[in-house]
Amino acid sequence: MKNDVIKLSATYTKMIFRSWFQYKVDAILRSLAVFMREATSIIVIYFTLTKFDSINGWNIYEMLLLFSLVYMTYGILIIFFTGLRDFGHTVRDGSFDRYILRPRGLLFQLIFANADWFAAVGHGGLGILLFVISAAKLGVVWTPLRVLYYVFAIIGGVLIQGAIFLFLATLNIYLLETNMLKEVFYWNMRKFSGYPMSIFHKAIQFVMTFIVPFAFVNYFPAQFILRKDDMAAYSEIFMYIAPFVGIVLYMLAYLFWRFSIKYYKSSGN
Amino acid sequence: MSFIEVENVSKTFKVSKRSAGIPGMIANMFVPKFEKKEAVRDISLSIEKGEMVGFIGPNGAGKSTTIKMLSGILCPDNGTINVNGYVPYKQRKDYVAGIGVVFGQKSQLQWDLPVIDSFELLRAIYRIPDDLYKKNLDRFVEMLDMGGFINQPVRQLSLGQRMRSDIVAALLHSPQIVFFDEPTIGVDIIGKETIRKFIKELNEQDDVTMLFTTHDMQDIEQTCKRIIIIDKGKIMYDGSLAEIRSKYGTTRQLIAEMNQDMEVASIKDIIIEKQDNRKYSFTFDNQVVDVNRLMHTILDTYNVKDVTVNEPEIESIIQKMYNGEV
Amino acid sequence: MGLTPYLAFAKKSFLSKSAYRLDHWMGILNTMIRLFIFVEIYKSLYGTREAVDGITMTMVTTNFILSLCLESFFAVDDFYLSSRINNGSIATEMLLPVSFHGRMLATNLGTAVFKLIFHFIPALLLAIFFIGMEAPAGAGNFVLFILSAILGYGVLWSISFMFQMLSFWLINVWAIMTIKNVFINVLSGSMIPLWFMPKWMSGVINFTPFASIYFSPVQIYLGNIGAAEIGMCFVKQIVWILVLMIIGKLLWIKGQKKMVVQGG
Repeated sequence: MKNDVIKLSATYTKMIFRSWFQYKVDAILRSLAVFMREATSIIVIYFTLTKFDSINGWNIYEMLLLFSLVYMTYGILIIFFTGLRDFGHTVRDGSFDRYILRPRGLLFQLIFANADWFAAVGHGGLGILLFVISAAKLGVVWTPLRVLYYVFAIIGGVLIQGAIFLFLATLNIYLLETNMLKEVFYWNMRKFSGYPMSIFHKAIQFVMTFIVPFAFVNYFPAQFILRKDDMAAYSEIFMYIAPFVGIVLYMLAYLFWRFSIKYYKSSGN
Repeated sequence: MSFIEVENVSKTFKVSKRSAGIPGMIANMFVPKFEKKEAVRDISLSIEKGEMVGFIGPNGAGKSTTIKMLSGILCPDNGTINVNGYVPYKQRKDYVAGIGVVFGQKSQLQWDLPVIDSFELLRAIYRIPDDLYKKNLDRFVEMLDMGGFINQPVRQLSLGQRMRSDIVAALLHSPQIVFFDEPTIGVDIIGKETIRKFIKELNEQDDVTMLFTTHDMQDIEQTCKRIIIIDKGKIMYDGSLAEIRSKYGTTRQLIAEMNQDMEVASIKDIIIEKQDNRKYSFTFDNQVVDVNRLMHTILDTYNVKDVTVNEPEIESIIQKMYNGEV
Repeated sequence: MGLTPYLAFAKKSFLSKSAYRLDHWMGILNTMIRLFIFVEIYKSLYGTREAVDGITMTMVTTNFILSLCLESFFAVDDFYLSSRINNGSIATEMLLPVSFHGRMLATNLGTAVFKLIFHFIPALLLAIFFIGMEAPAGAGNFVLFILSAILGYGVLWSISFMFQMLSFWLINVWAIMTIKNVFINVLSGSMIPLWFMPKWMSGVINFTPFASIYFSPVQIYLGNIGAAEIGMCFVKQIVWILVLMIIGKLLWIKGQKKMVVQGG
C-alpha cells in the first residue's frame, strides 16, 4: 500500500516534468519570472532602507531574514499545495469531477497532480539565497537547538500557509469566485509579512497573529534568533509554539474540507 | 434487485439569476437573486447487467445530472441509487474503481503529452495489473486503430483521435459499467462509425453494462436496444428502440454533395432527387436499407465532397410525445 | 462603420464585470488594506520627522492613495491576444469587420469604466475619509491631473499592447508579462514613491515610460512641478504612447504574417 502511493506520486511527478520539458525555454522563463516577481519586494525594501536606514529598529539584513522565511516556506508550499491554490479553477472548469471519478484520495490527487517544481526553484532559490546572506551578515551562531527549531519552524510555516490554501480552496465549493479573498487574506498578508509586524496597527497585528497567522511563519521564528526590542509587546510563548501552529491549523482546515466535500456532492456547484 | 437501481430520484440546483441591462446589473451587485432549477424530478429506472441503454433528450433535460449521480459525483436530494451493490456517492473509492466515464466535452488526457503517457498514469491510478494493462491496451489499440498516433501529444490529435483515446482511457481498468456522455460529439462521420462499432463490440464480448447520452440518433440506432427519453427532468419514454422507431417513422434522407457536376444512377428502394447539379438527396426507409451500406456505396461510386444524414430531431420526437402522437 | 460596434464590446465587458459580487467588494477592501499598510510602513519610517528630502508624510500618503486607486481601475487584460491565439479563435475574430485592436481597447475600457465607477470612486472616498490626503494644489492642477491620468492609462495600455504581440512567437506569455509587471511595480512609483529612489535610479527611470503611468499625474496633482515640467510630462506621455504603439503595430504585422504562413 505504502509502496503503491509512492509509485503513483512518482508517476505524477514524472508526467509534470515531461510536460514542462516539452517547452524548455518557457520552463526557464517561468522560473526566472517567479524569481524576479518575488525579488520585487526585496528591491523595494532595499531602496527604502537606503533612504531611511531602519524600520522600527530592524536593519536591512534583519528584514532579509523575515523575507527569506516567507520564500523558503513558499518554495516548499507550491510543491505540495499548488493544486489547492488553483482549486477554484479546477472546480469551475469541471476537472474536479474527474478527480472524484478516480479511486484515490481527493487531496492526494490534487497535491501530486499539480506540484509546481519549477516555480519552487524560483521561490526556494531566492529564499535560501537571502537566508544565507542575512545569517552571514548578522553573524548568527548555529547551535543544534537553533537548527532544530528552524527545521520545525519551516515545516510549520509551510503547514500554516497550506492550511490557508486548503481553507480558501474549500470556500470555492460554496462561492463562485474567491480570487479576491485569496488576494486579501493570503497575498497581501504575505506581502506585508516581510515587515516587522510591530509597525502595524493593532488590528492588523491581531489578524496576523490569530486569523491569518503569518506572524508564526516568519516574525516569531525570526525573533527566536534576533530578540529585537519589539518582541516585548508579545508573549514569549508565541516564539516557542510557532513550529506547532501549522499542525493545528492544518487539521482544522482538513476537517472543514471533509465536511464541505459532502456539500459539493449535494450542491453540484 | 437489478444491476443498476434508481428509485424516485430528484435533484434541484440553486442557480443565480442575472437581470438584464445596467440597472439590473447594479441591483445584482447588491442583492443577488437565486432561483431553483429542478434538474431531475422523481426518476426511477433499473438496468440489468450487460444492458446497453441510450439516454436521450434535449440540452438541459437532466441527462448529465443523472449520469453525475450514477457515477457518484453528485448525490440525489431524494430517492435512492444502488449500482452493483454500491451507493455511488457514499462508497466513492470502491465504487469508482469499477466504473468508467467518458465525457465527450472534457478530455481526461494530459494535453501536452503523448497519449501513451496518460494511459501509463491511469495504470498507476487504478493499480492495473501489468498483464491486464497490456492485454487491454493491445486489444483496444487494435480495435480502434490507434497505433498511428498513440505516441503523439494529445494537442496534435484530431477530435476523433482524441475521442478514441479518451474512450480507451476510461476502459483500461476493465470497468463493469461505462457511462458515456456525448462520446461522438464533434467527431466526423467515419470516426463516429469506428466508435459505435467499438462500443457495440465491447458490450457484446465483455458483457459491460453501458449507458450513454447523445444528441445523435444514429449513435442510438446502431448500438442500443433500449432507450430512455428524458425531458425537463422527467422520463418520457423507457422501452425498446424498435417500438419507438416504428412509431416515429423510419424514413431517412441522405444528402450527398459532389465535387463536380454529375448524374446519379438509380438504386433499388431509394428515391433519388436532384437538388442542384452537384447535390442529390437519397430518401429511403431505414428498416429496408442499411444506412452504412448506402453511404459506402455512394462514397465508393462517386466523387463525393460531403455526406449528411438527416434524422428526425429528438426535439420533434418529444414534441410528438407531448401531442400524444407516440 | 463608426463607433457603435466598439461601444457594444465595451458595454458587454462592463456588464460581465458585475457577475462576481463578493469578488468585487473584496477588491475594494483589498485596495483599502494595501493602502492602510503602506501608510503604516511609512509612518514607522518617518517616525517623528516632519519631512524627508522636503517630502512630507501627507504627500507620501497622497501618492499611495492616488497610485493605488488609479491602479485599481487601470484595467488591462495582458492575455487578451494570447488566449485567442491559443484557443484558435483569433482566426475568426480577424475576419470580423471591426479592428481587432479597437475591439481589444474597447473591451479593456469597458472594464476600466466599470472599475472607475464601482472601485476607484468608492475606494478613493473611503481613503479620503479614513486616511486623509492632500487636496489638489489648484483647480488647474486637478484638471491636468485627470488628463495626465488618462494618458497614464494610455501608456500602461501601450506597454501591455506591445508585449502582447510577443504571443505570436511564444507559446506562453505568462513569464514575460510577469517580468513586465515587475518593472512597472518597481519603477512606476506605486510601491515606492519615486522621490525616495537613489539618484542614479531616478536617472534611469527618467528614460523609461514607467514614471509616466502614475507618478506624473501625482506630481501634477500635488503641484510639485512647474508649468514647464508639467508640459514636459505630457510630451513624454504622448511620445511614449506613440513609440510603444508603433513598435506594437510593427510586431503585429510581422506576427500576422507568421501566423498566416504557419496556418495558426
